[in-house]
Amino acid sequence: MTRNSLSIEALEAGALILRRRVVRMVAKLRVGYLQQGLGAADLFAALYFGELNLDETDPDWPQRDRFILSTAHNTAVLYAAMAERGLIPAEMLDGYTQDGSPLEVNASERLGSLVEATCGSLGQGLSVGVGMALGLRRKGLSSRVYVVLGDGELQEGQVWEAALSAGGHALDNLCMIIDRNFMQVEGHTDKVVRMDPLADKFAAFGWNALEIDGNSMAQIVGALDAARDFKGKPTLIVANTLPGAGVAFLEGQLAHVARITSDDAQRALDILEGAAA
Amino acid sequence: MTDQSADVMGGFKDARTFRQEALSARSYGQALLAAAKADPRIVCLGADLSQPTQTYLFRDELPERFFMLGIQEANMVGVAGGLARTGDIPFAHSFCVFITRRVYDQIAMQAAYPKLPVKLVGFIPGLHTELGVSHQAIDDIALMRALPNMAVIEPSGPEQIAAAVDAALSYDGPVYLRLSISRTKPDETVPLIPLELGKGLIVRRGEDIAILASGSMVAEAMAAADLLDAQGLSATVANMASLKPLDTGLVEQLARNHRVLVTAENHSIIGGLGSAVADVLALAGVSTKFAMVGVRDIFAEGGTTPYLMQKYGLTAQHIADKALELHRRPRA
Repeated sequence: MTRNSLSIEALEAGALILRRRVVRMVAKLRVGYLQQGLGAADLFAALYFGELNLDETDPDWPQRDRFILSTAHNTAVLYAAMAERGLIPAEMLDGYTQDGSPLEVNASERLGSLVEATCGSLGQGLSVGVGMALGLRRKGLSSRVYVVLGDGELQEGQVWEAALSAGGHALDNLCMIIDRNFMQVEGHTDKVVRMDPLADKFAAFGWNALEIDGNSMAQIVGALDAARDFKGKPTLIVANTLPGAGVAFLEGQLAHVARITSDDAQRALDILEGAAA
Repeated sequence: MTDQSADVMGGFKDARTFRQEALSARSYGQALLAAAKADPRIVCLGADLSQPTQTYLFRDELPERFFMLGIQEANMVGVAGGLARTGDIPFAHSFCVFITRRVYDQIAMQAAYPKLPVKLVGFIPGLHTELGVSHQAIDDIALMRALPNMAVIEPSGPEQIAAAVDAALSYDGPVYLRLSISRTKPDETVPLIPLELGKGLIVRRGEDIAILASGSMVAEAMAAADLLDAQGLSATVANMASLKPLDTGLVEQLARNHRVLVTAENHSIIGGLGSAVADVLALAGVSTKFAMVGVRDIFAEGGTTPYLMQKYGLTAQHIADKALELHRRPRA
């Protein structure tokens, strides 16, 4: 296996497919992680269709890259990305969040090792990523570890413990992406705990800290390339994402768990179907 | 596991030799180091405290497998989970309070739920220390017992510590090892005793009273048996180092063969050995005279070990008094 080398346009087309799936999956439930899924579709497309070195036929392949979704709840887009990558059958998506389905609201390793760690209790994913990065490095494996955190999650103290150790151990095989959508259950993250200057905080902790438009595929790919090439420090990518991105009438609406009517879902799909791939 | 450990010792000894060393060690630090030389998957994690957890031995001899995280237990447990997911067997160390209660959710999510071979090793069990309530672990066994997949082991002392490390390794899942560092040099003339997960060990046989104990309370139970002997009563003492899984068969058998059953633990009577034994008796429908010696649902304060044991009712005399009182009481 090698990393897929897709063009920016191909990855953008992949993101559009993810957005359509997210709308359909959440619309079926009438409520769910819609805004986050649309907002992070470009990140997941870049990771699952391009960056992550995985073997679709062997989820336990030791040389694989590791991906951890620390918030664990942005699963419509996660499962859609897994299905499009060929890691799970697309039909499985029909059972999303249904009783008995391994596609739980919060991703758990009932799905197998595709879910590299069961998170959802916020603030824990980076610590596991640090452990994996240390273990892979000691074994001489070139696998990389990717951790996606939410920005609200940064309020958890454990994230900063892990950030200190990642910087201290100079884990350049570790890349953290903060899906910065300024959204948490309570509302706008800045009104709860102001986090700026965010990249500078991590730079001070020994990270190679980058900040990008998380809905620009060119910038995402550029940052992932830069992270892979950077030696001696872990890389942080602060990806500023727009909740509801790609569906004009949903863009910018802050809703941790969004409700969507079937009419609005159809409107959203019409927009996404009409969008140029 | 490779049979040769040339990577660490230049091929002078093979894994079997190190395993023998591990099984004959009298201190935790030596037992872990020898076990690690026999099994290259073992890695050692610290949250400060290399000296009081005896892991400085590991640090100095196997530095490439030693990870000092600093004073951040929550992160350490997550890191241990991550290491385990790459094939390592991490031993993570701190004091009992900090490696259990302080990081309970991290343990549940990153060790217990995924059933990873993360071994959590705590020191300063129960009421033992002048450091006070912050360092007194009276609920750690209760917390760890409640977690699915988690095994809980508390050896009686230096004579069982090597067997405890081996038992922790015998289980392919998370383990809480509740240990005590003896302040004096271990007595090499005391015979080593085994420890098998899920098995209790009868260390003294009697007929009237059965005392089931773990950790430092095994010694108190033995002394209590001497006190009872002077009163004309003979006592069986069982070392229940495997707190989870518990040897339920042995508990039932002792309850049926003795008139009085007493548990002794340096831990709260809520959720520890006493509770576990009571569960077994109730569920098996065994009716017997039964008492628990332990910390009575109360926070203590800092003090010397003998002072605390005396004040909070954890001495041999307390065990013997309780047993005598029950023995004299007519059956309900």
